[in-house]
Amino acid sequence: MYFVPNPELGNKIIILMAALVLVLQIAAVGQRGIISSIRIFGVQSFLLAGIATVIAYFNKAEHVYVAAILTVLLKAVVLPRVLERLVEKIGIRREIEPLINVPLSILTAGGLTLLGYVVAASFYHPEETAGPAALGHNTLPVAIALFLIGFFVMVNRRKALTQVLGLLSLENGMFLAAISLTYGMPLVVDIGIFFDVLVAVMVLGILVFRIREAFDSMDVSKLRKLRE
Amino acid sequence: MILFGLLIVPLIAGPLSFLLRKRSAMEFVNLSAFTILLGLAIALGARVLWSGPVSLWNGFFYADALSALVVLLSAFVAFVCSIYAIGYFRRDEAEGVFLENDEPGETLVEQKLREYYTLTPLFVFSLVLVALANNLGILWVAIEGATLSSVFLVMFYGRDTSLEAAWKYAIIGGVGLSMALFGTILTYYSAHQILETETLSGLNWSVLIGHAAQFDKATMRLAFILILLGYGTKAGIAPMHTWKPDAYSEAPIPAAAILATGVLNCSIYGLIRFYILTAKCLGPQFSSHLLIIFGLLSVAVAVPFILVQKNFRRLLAYSSIEHSGIMVLALGWGGVLGILGMLLHMTFHSVTKPLLFFCAGNVQQHMKTDLFSKAKSGLIHSMPVTGGAFLLATLAVTGSPPFSLFQSEFTILRAAFVSGYSVLGYVFMAFLIAIFAGFLAHCANLVLGADPNLPRDDTDGWKKYSVVGLVAVIVILGFWIPAPLFKLIQSATAIVMGG
Repeated sequence: MYFVPNPELGNKIIILMAALVLVLQIAAVGQRGIISSIRIFGVQSFLLAGIATVIAYFNKAEHVYVAAILTVLLKAVVLPRVLERLVEKIGIRREIEPLINVPLSILTAGGLTLLGYVVAASFYHPEETAGPAALGHNTLPVAIALFLIGFFVMVNRRKALTQVLGLLSLENGMFLAAISLTYGMPLVVDIGIFFDVLVAVMVLGILVFRIREAFDSMDVSKLRKLRE
Repeated sequence: MILFGLLIVPLIAGPLSFLLRKRSAMEFVNLSAFTILLGLAIALGARVLWSGPVSLWNGFFYADALSALVVLLSAFVAFVCSIYAIGYFRRDEAEGVFLENDEPGETLVEQKLREYYTLTPLFVFSLVLVALANNLGILWVAIEGATLSSVFLVMFYGRDTSLEAAWKYAIIGGVGLSMALFGTILTYYSAHQILETETLSGLNWSVLIGHAAQFDKATMRLAFILILLGYGTKAGIAPMHTWKPDAYSEAPIPAAAILATGVLNCSIYGLIRFYILTAKCLGPQFSSHLLIIFGLLSVAVAVPFILVQKNFRRLLAYSSIEHSGIMVLALGWGGVLGILGMLLHMTFHSVTKPLLFFCAGNVQQHMKTDLFSKAKSGLIHSMPVTGGAFLLATLAVTGSPPFSLFQSEFTILRAAFVSGYSVLGYVFMAFLIAIFAGFLAHCANLVLGADPNLPRDDTDGWKKYSVVGLVAVIVILGFWIPAPLFKLIQSATAIVMGG
């Protein structure tokens, strides 16, 4: 006897992990320390890789394994390490000061999650596709919520580095959308996107460092010389 | 073979400049690479006209008339900018601009020039890849690559304001592009259900276009909105245009000219590819309305800022917002006239805008300011070539006859009336007149007037060649479009119309 993959089980695992991803995202909104925000991002990326692996296993889509491995390596190991080193180099110990206070921020994040469900419901038809092909389709609302909350974080936080983290969680939302809707983009595209994310973080990291040197602060609201 | 050459030449030129270090060697590598690139781009245009679309590696790279046109424009701009850059940076070096913000030393100048001559070929490589990638995901990767390779060019002078401009450019561009990626994923999803393939070709435009009519309509609708916001951000249409004036006024002149034409064309190109799919799936109505709203808004936003503008480099940025708005608007009005007008506009704009940037750069290097109030009027006396060219370029870019942008704007206006948007056509005309008046008033004040008795300054050969050469091209294009070029634009129009 060998183990027969049960799609129902896969679906449960995926939903559990997607729920954890969402909870982490909302926790990140309420988080005040920069280091813990970075670690939350790392754990979240690890869970996304888990979802990708389950989908790859049940759909026998080998190329998604590659995407999962790349996600673990890049987003769960390399990027958090790079960002933490950047924080050490700049030497910020101060906490993040959001524009909107923490309870209200979390409430907003909850509202955005609801919005994600509404948007996803408008063009997604679960009854039309069934079986293993539909696996993970119901994580689309989570993906859209990640995307929207990422936007909110970028608007709400004034520190240059937290805006980079917001951009990265946008990216995570898109990765989830891509694997849950279509089992990942073609491999070449996936690799291209990962490469771009890596370079983008390097470029933004150098920028953060230079801004910190020039303005003696990471507060982007100090960048206001260029006006009409 | 041509496609491979187009991609490999700039890709080699970048690292080669990095290794060579010597200024004259880097200048030579850049100039010769972009000369070869222009030759290859012309060859590609001829080949596409002669024997139809070209593809490479099982259709991984693909060039039809539309791609050939965009590649040709990118290559042209890169070529003229590489000539101008030589004179521009020699002047910067002679005046010690690079030493202002840092401790003096030979190495800093060398390092800065190396940065420019390495990043620019990579930047141009990304722009060429945008037009040649068949896969819509690779197209996205290439546009993101263009953004990343140009961030350091915006930051080039290392002033506080350059950092601010680079930060805005990177972050706003990053958010915009993430929306575009989401749109691409959704397009793949709506196609995926029809094609039933998980292979690479599932995102190839040439494959998608054959099945676009059966795509899931609701998904495609959301995808197009995201694509319009995403690539619209990169094209700088309102209200996502805020990075543009900052980036254009902080980047060194040749890089700013490539940003204002190459990046603009490539983002509009990405939008057009998705427009064709959406029009086939949902009919032209849906995308048309959105494009008209955003296009007209961009032209409207540009009007007040051009009228009260104090800084001539920011003026150019608002003019660029206006022109991207016009292109989007023309796409929205559609029909043969609208599409033809848009592609003509793209071509003529790419020829005219670099001249304006070069003139502004000459004035800035001469007067040491980019404010109208501080620059002394009477430019025509101290810089006869630049002054004359500035006035001519101003007339050309605001669409006054006999220059070619008049023809394209007239065609677009006709499209508005033909497709039944006559009220919006009048509004559009009013905006254009206001922009013409504001732009001309600013530039005429700068160029004409009494002799301020400044030392004459129009000596540098490289800068003069590029300005005079572009003036010649603009004047000739005003009266005569080469038949093969027009043929190329016509076949590109047919692609946008019918897929």
